[in-house]
Amino acid sequence: MTAQTTMSAAPINQRAATRAQGIRRFKWTVLTPFLALMIFILGPALLLQGYFSFFSFSIFDAGDDTSFLSYFRASQWVGLDLWADALTDSKFGFAIVRSLMFAVGVTVGCFIIGFALALLMYRPFRGQGFYYIFFILPMLTVPIVIAYTGEMILYQNGPLNDILSRITGLRIEAQFLYKQEIALTTIGFMEIWNWTPFSFIIMMAGLASLPKEPQEAAQILGANRFQIFFEVQLPLLRPVILLALILRFLESMAEFPKTWGLLQGGPGSATETIPVYIFINAWQYFDISYAAVLSYVVLILMVAIVMSAIWLLRREKKNLDAMYDAKPEEG
Amino acid sequence: MAMTKSQRRMSFSAFRYLVLTFWLCIVAFPIFWMVSTSFKPDKEWFAWPPVYISENATMMNYLVVWADVSEYATNEDGDLETYTQSLQRPWEALGNSALISVIATTLSVLFGAVLAYGVSRYQILSEGRMFQLLMLRMVPPIVLVAPISIWYSALGLLDSITGLVMLYFLTTLPYAVWMSKSFIDEVPREMEQAAEILGASRARTIWEVVLPLVRSGLVATFLFILILTWSEYLLALLLSKTAVVTLPVELSKYQGSTEGRVYGRQAALSVGITLPLIVVGMIIRKHLARGFSFGMVRR
Repeated sequence: MTAQTTMSAAPINQRAATRAQGIRRFKWTVLTPFLALMIFILGPALLLQGYFSFFSFSIFDAGDDTSFLSYFRASQWVGLDLWADALTDSKFGFAIVRSLMFAVGVTVGCFIIGFALALLMYRPFRGQGFYYIFFILPMLTVPIVIAYTGEMILYQNGPLNDILSRITGLRIEAQFLYKQEIALTTIGFMEIWNWTPFSFIIMMAGLASLPKEPQEAAQILGANRFQIFFEVQLPLLRPVILLALILRFLESMAEFPKTWGLLQGGPGSATETIPVYIFINAWQYFDISYAAVLSYVVLILMVAIVMSAIWLLRREKKNLDAMYDAKPEEG
Repeated sequence: MAMTKSQRRMSFSAFRYLVLTFWLCIVAFPIFWMVSTSFKPDKEWFAWPPVYISENATMMNYLVVWADVSEYATNEDGDLETYTQSLQRPWEALGNSALISVIATTLSVLFGAVLAYGVSRYQILSEGRMFQLLMLRMVPPIVLVAPISIWYSALGLLDSITGLVMLYFLTTLPYAVWMSKSFIDEVPREMEQAAEILGASRARTIWEVVLPLVRSGLVATFLFILILTWSEYLLALLLSKTAVVTLPVELSKYQGSTEGRVYGRQAALSVGITLPLIVVGMIIRKHLARGFSFGMVRR
């Protein structure tokens, strides 16, 4: 203790310097293996993707020779031809629109149901734990299992048609999955079933963490329930709501097991979303180059979406932190 | 006629139970149907009206799928037919799934927690970098699978456990870091400082002060990521062919089977895939909420 108090300025600086050095050493010890692995796997993948987007190559071109280098020998320079193809490919355009519509629908569906359930449940009541356990179950089931179980339920002679028949008194034989007009919507409902718990859990956490004082203050000032909800609770929940929406939107853009596992893009091309369309090009037509170009277009699109999403999230987080840090002075 | 306050409360309560019970039915029905189908004999799989709870419940589906028992049944012509699916190897797939997801998850959480500790206490990554890390998860994997499979085939990593583990590690790391950071952030720094003043070393402080406080959070993170890797389908489908088959891919083989749909078998396998996850989920349900909010919820 005495040694510390009598310490002059210089050794303190020195100690700060060694501390900073230690932190730097710790940082790079941790980050190096991670960055190395990322560069080792993703680096070559991105380079290959770039190469094949300018050099046309399909697995058929390689013939019997399936060695790595034969891919390069069999590829042919085509310049920007494939890029031009991709940007004028109407099927690809439809796939993008389909994916966006699917993702928006699923995100909104999950959010509305999840938020409504959370609003009904966040205050303690008898049976809360019981309902909570059941409501998170769908998230714990494997997506591909949901797909196949969904098929059993939606089957022409399946229980859903049976229940509808009993309610209406008619014999209903709807083909929910094999009608072009509704196939994607049906998959959307499965996705909503699967991921509503995610929105539900996030919104439960958000609602439970809201400070009580502003609500009580509003109540004293004579605000009714709706005013409190829209003008006090909702603004405080904005960051969480944004998080729930963004994560869900991005994950449903990438949805694959249900669309592919059940319908492989069909009937017709009704469920050809972005992932399915890329998959078909790469693994059914074996057109590595075209798939690479499509992937790049999607990558650029997604990075743009993700960057704006991150910008939004960071802004909200900053506002939230500022609000909470300013609170002691207000109170 | 205006309702009194207690009447209003009563009717709200009734409304709440009605809505919640309705959603409960929607949530529970598919799971019920999966379990119920797994016990149905083959004649009831496609029956109209559908059979909800079989009166002739049988273990046959489980025996055929999991114990490789051959089942002999007579078809309409009275001939004996075999229903064995000799191509399926569910136990091997179960082993692969367990091995891959446990290794990848352990690496991801160990590494993620150390990184998260560094970020939480020493800001070794700026907030911007942390969000960039999240991008790893947010870009759909399909856009890179084709070149990765070419690169893997050059390295000989195609169809190998190592190859899948490396990719699962990379794609789950963002969640591991963000989730464990939200738990570590909650540990007051004063406790660590107190331990240090009392003369404990850095390692001992982390081991004896921080770790016990975040243990349950880390377990939740571990199990959540285990769920993600256990049910992963796309990468497993495309980067493994024959040698390393995981359970979701194994299940999808039934869909393409030449003998037509075999709902009972599918259901029996599905139950086997889902059961471990439900058990795991029940253990972590209390911690899920905290980990998911990624610091967007303050308490």
